[in-house]
Amino acid sequence: MWQRIYEDINDPNFVLICVAEDVGGEAVAGPIFDAAKPTYIQVIDENHLVSSAFNFVNVPSAAWIDEDGRIVRIDEGTYSMIHTFGEGEEAIAFGNDVYEPALKDWVLKGADSQHVQPAETVAGHIRQHSADQQKADAAFRLGNLFRRHGQNEKADYYWQMARDLNPDSVNFIRQNLTLTEEGSAGDQFRAMMGEYVSSGRDYYRPLDFKNNPLDVGPGASKIE
Amino acid sequence: MAEAFMAYPELRNPFKASAVNAESSATVLYQGRTIKLDSTGEGEGLLIDPGDLQSINGFEIKPEGVCYGDLCIPLDAALMVEQAGRKWFSLTALAALLEQPFVADLEAGVWSFAEIPAKRENMMVSAMAPELELTDREGQVVRMADLKGKKALIVTWSSW
Repeated sequence: MWQRIYEDINDPNFVLICVAEDVGGEAVAGPIFDAAKPTYIQVIDENHLVSSAFNFVNVPSAAWIDEDGRIVRIDEGTYSMIHTFGEGEEAIAFGNDVYEPALKDWVLKGADSQHVQPAETVAGHIRQHSADQQKADAAFRLGNLFRRHGQNEKADYYWQMARDLNPDSVNFIRQNLTLTEEGSAGDQFRAMMGEYVSSGRDYYRPLDFKNNPLDVGPGASKIE
Repeated sequence: MAEAFMAYPELRNPFKASAVNAESSATVLYQGRTIKLDSTGEGEGLLIDPGDLQSINGFEIKPEGVCYGDLCIPLDAALMVEQAGRKWFSLTALAALLEQPFVADLEAGVWSFAEIPAKRENMMVSAMAPELELTDREGQVVRMADLKGKKALIVTWSSW
């Protein structure tokens, strides 16, 4: 859906960079990108460098960066729409429809947009990662290297180390679960997320767009 | 609930087993790059040829010390180590001074370094975009610094 939003915005001074946090690389993320027929910048980030750089712990997460290189919003559940899967009572929905109009408002009005946040607010919204959490990124990348060299025992060891050092990273948990039979959205995932949420942690900042034109209040950004 | 449709178990064993340092003395991972070192010093920590330093983390050895931008750390015997008449630079001693976390697999000779906190202060304190270099699917390098003059949304997603 980002392609539609990008086309709607249609501003040569707006750059959209979509980044797949995917150890599986082109093989798994490439076809999904291609299906969107994208004209924006596409990156496949096998080492989750973008999440490391901005201290994100889940996808989809984002940063708005203005013309001077200043971040003006960060670390929200960056959904382009409300997604629904399944039907009837089995149906689940996640995402929100408040992010898109806010983004468009910013691209149009720049610093005058009501959604731009001052530097001290943004700095306060950036997750503070401990030395152990930073070390987790190094462990994750080490695991990736061993995976590429077919040394799965070491790869698993360092991925587990990454998870232990940064238990807040939903990225590490779910990326790791892709290597299990049940995948990244099975029972293990649900149990872990139950624990995660009940311990009071959040994997996105709550959406707090003020005076949203849609007037729908805080968006629902959650994994069901 | 959604099925586990995102699994790709074929990734569990897609690669043939191979040594990481088959043709090198050590390997350094930093910011997504894999740097192979032809020669390293003996002993604890990672001692590199001083000529390799800049290609690893951008630091340069100057008369005033080991420097990155305005940051300069005076060289001492812990940073510059002499062995049998050859000088080595201790990348792990620099990491300790910079409080840069790393994880090493000594058996395989691989050192994986996390970000350097001093390089990220501008983001953590002043909300400036961090140094970041990515390569897009067309092979073009995308640097945060090159986006100046434009608004940018950088958004993550995944197949999983």
